[in-house]
Amino acid sequence: MVKPKIICVTGGKGGTGKTMVAVNLATMFKNRGYKVLLIDGDVENPNTYLLLNGKLKNKTEVLYFLPKIIEEKCNKCGLCAENCATHALLYIKNSFPIPISTVCSGCKLCYKICPTNAIDADLKIIGWIYTSSAFNIDLFLGELKPSEASSAAIVKTLMEKLKKVIEIDQNKYDVVILDTAPGAHCDVEELINHADFIVPVTEPTRFGKLDLLRIIELIELLEKEYKVIVNRSSLLGFKEKFLLELEEKGIELLGDIPLDEDIVSSYCQGIPLMEIKRNSDKSGMGYQSFNEIFKNLIEWGEFVK
Amino acid sequence: MYKIAIPTCGNGGLNEVMNKRFGRCDSFTFVTIENNQITEVNSIENHAKGGTGGVGIQATQIVGNNSSDEVIVGFLGPNAANSLNALNIKIYQSPGGELTVKELIDLRLNKKLQLITSANVGAHQGMGRGSGYRR
Repeated sequence: MVKPKIICVTGGKGGTGKTMVAVNLATMFKNRGYKVLLIDGDVENPNTYLLLNGKLKNKTEVLYFLPKIIEEKCNKCGLCAENCATHALLYIKNSFPIPISTVCSGCKLCYKICPTNAIDADLKIIGWIYTSSAFNIDLFLGELKPSEASSAAIVKTLMEKLKKVIEIDQNKYDVVILDTAPGAHCDVEELINHADFIVPVTEPTRFGKLDLLRIIELIELLEKEYKVIVNRSSLLGFKEKFLLELEEKGIELLGDIPLDEDIVSSYCQGIPLMEIKRNSDKSGMGYQSFNEIFKNLIEWGEFVK
Repeated sequence: MYKIAIPTCGNGGLNEVMNKRFGRCDSFTFVTIENNQITEVNSIENHAKGGTGGVGIQATQIVGNNSSDEVIVGFLGPNAANSLNALNIKIYQSPGGELTVKELIDLRLNKKLQLITSANVGAHQGMGRGSGYRR
């Protein structure tokens, strides 16, 4: 394999089971001998490690640019403030510009255009990156510092880390699974953009459908291939109607997962369902449906091992 | 001698009413005070009012570039408050209601206005219908 295949698990609505699906897909690939990396890009609520009973390690800071005015060099021309798109530099005639950190987007334009090189990079911490490993699955996880706004910057840092790892050893991983935040914001977009296969996870409710259509709109804008998983498909008996609606819209299914007690108990214990070794547990609806989903995924993505 | 800036409606002036939105007011009226007397009044258009973001900072630039020492405000967002504080411009809170510049200056000269140091509304409250619906 030249480069790992990247699968992005997303879905629009929160609480549909994105992380649960991502963790179990990772487990199934690992069980079949693939080298798997899971990336938790839900940086506002990173919790993938909990479903893997793992511990976060190797905390590193994610730093963001903020302008710092070097008064000895500044000629008070105001060019930086004039060109700042977010008006993050307060400039009064004949005085030094004052950075307003809360609105700075970190674009560095001021730093680049200052004619006297009077702007220095003052870095602020906007979050952290962790690495971990559990059940033979490697994990990268990003965390946004509460009150900071740039979730996409944390996600970008995670993807840069992935790029570096692949550059050093392109055979380090066979499969990379990306777990996104809910919604269709730029942090989700960043992850979808890096993936080869998109798997939106939804549930057969009105919320699930509406948010699914929103995320599909984004996926189609980015011209990516996708197949949907309907989780809790047996919920309130809406399954048939919901699946029919998806079919009518030409939305392809990767599979569906009915309500299943084994899934809930694996979730609570922090041991992925597909990690279960006892044969007696393999007859459960959840187990069966994940196997079916995996079969379809292997076929769709032409995964060969 | 010191100068007070007030966000105003229309073209501003002593008899114009205050505009409660600081960043998105129509104009700023500047009143110079000497020995507790008004010695000069002038006003300028707020060219920042239509911006999509950061208008509090731009409005503060207008206030600062006109050498104001104080402002009297209705609603004030966090960026404007931070910017005014960075320039050491004193912020006085209007008691509310439809007060004219003249009435506000009288209150200020009689020391009836409260000095504030931070925002009294969240970001973007001055956009659309936000401001009028608060308080």
